[in-house]
Amino acid sequence: MKFTHTATVAASRDRVWAKLMDIPAAARCVPGVASVRAAGSDKYLGTLAVQVGPVRLVLDGDLVVTARDEKAGTASVKADAKDSRVGGAIRATMALHLSEKEDETELRIATDLAVMGRIGEFGQAVIKRKADQLMQDFADCLARQVMR
Amino acid sequence: MSYDYHEPHSLDDALALLTRFGDDGHLMAGGTATVLLMRQGLLRPAHVVSLRTIDGLSGIARTPQGGLRIGAMATHRAVERSDAARGYSPALVDAFASVATVRIRNQATVGGNLAHADPAQDPPPMLAALNATITVRSPRGERTEAVETLAVDHFTTSLSHDEVITSVLLPPILPGTREVYLKFLPQTADDYATVSVAATLRFADDATVADVRIVLGAVGPTTIRAKRVEDALRGARPTPERIRDAAALVRDEVDPLDDLRGSADYKREMARVWTERALAALTR
Repeated sequence: MKFTHTATVAASRDRVWAKLMDIPAAARCVPGVASVRAAGSDKYLGTLAVQVGPVRLVLDGDLVVTARDEKAGTASVKADAKDSRVGGAIRATMALHLSEKEDETELRIATDLAVMGRIGEFGQAVIKRKADQLMQDFADCLARQVMR
Repeated sequence: MSYDYHEPHSLDDALALLTRFGDDGHLMAGGTATVLLMRQGLLRPAHVVSLRTIDGLSGIARTPQGGLRIGAMATHRAVERSDAARGYSPALVDAFASVATVRIRNQATVGGNLAHADPAQDPPPMLAALNATITVRSPRGERTEAVETLAVDHFTTSLSHDEVITSVLLPPILPGTREVYLKFLPQTADDYATVSVAATLRFADDATVADVRIVLGAVGPTTIRAKRVEDALRGARPTPERIRDAAALVRDEVDPLDDLRGSADYKREMARVWTERALAALTR
């Protein structure tokens, strides 16, 4: 499943970059994220709780910054997480791209999401909608925080 | 998977159990949706609280004002076979009779269906088109809510975990009102709808549309009220051209997903086609 989300931030690219690369702080912008902590260079452990109707997933996993290029304003992030209670896992690779336009910065996140195991029983449509909401909330929250 | 199964004999006992178990408890009515989610492993409650041993939740009767009250534990089949329901609105009976197979309809309940909030179900659009409200009990007392606003997302309602739907109330239908429920099933007769349209329309004395309500199923995260289509018809004479133009507005109101029943674009187009057909049926 592939998605692209964008958010426009009224701040310089440098400021947005600094915010984005502070992973524990940036991750708190994802609704449902709890306890993100560093575990080595560019690796973080964390938990994401997602509720779909009566079903609650608690995704436990790690997030790795696999590439970063401050000059180009690009970074790649890979997240692997599993829910041991329901029995399922997700893998997401995200390509982040910042581009400065006059006094604004556009944040673009291209996500490729794979869903494995029982979580897939929801159906791709519902998962896609939920992931879409999460990523858009993240982009919007980040934009708000930088402007603060 | 193991869980404790509880059969309280009063609503107060059921509410007390739900309060005690919190997130570990799950309320079950007919169980058709809950058991599937449990078998899929998505739902793993420690406690299941059943409503089936509580008396007085399954009646279906006309109200003194000419409306209809359906107990939350009435099965789909009971509504389908109810003279009171048919006397109130044959289209309502059609919507319940459209659900899956008779085996499912014998088990699935009216309240459970609404609480499950599956946007592709048949009864919610028809109940919303008929302006139905639900009565909800919790330890804090009783409240009512419109069926139209109950679902807030896929499988998600505005109900909190300690609230129980006890009945559905349908208001009297004004004279001159027509109702229809259409379900587009391109694959099998027992499938979920690709698109469904529930609509009610009342003519004024001068043959213009006095009121119209159109609610679609299966084309968004919840049922979708087609307010722009309604506005384009209210006060106007529903000529075939006007109906065609009004129905075209539905494409921008729905929010379907690509799935095995078709692409989002296809469903948007089918929403237009079936809205036009529903309106044609009501104005024929």
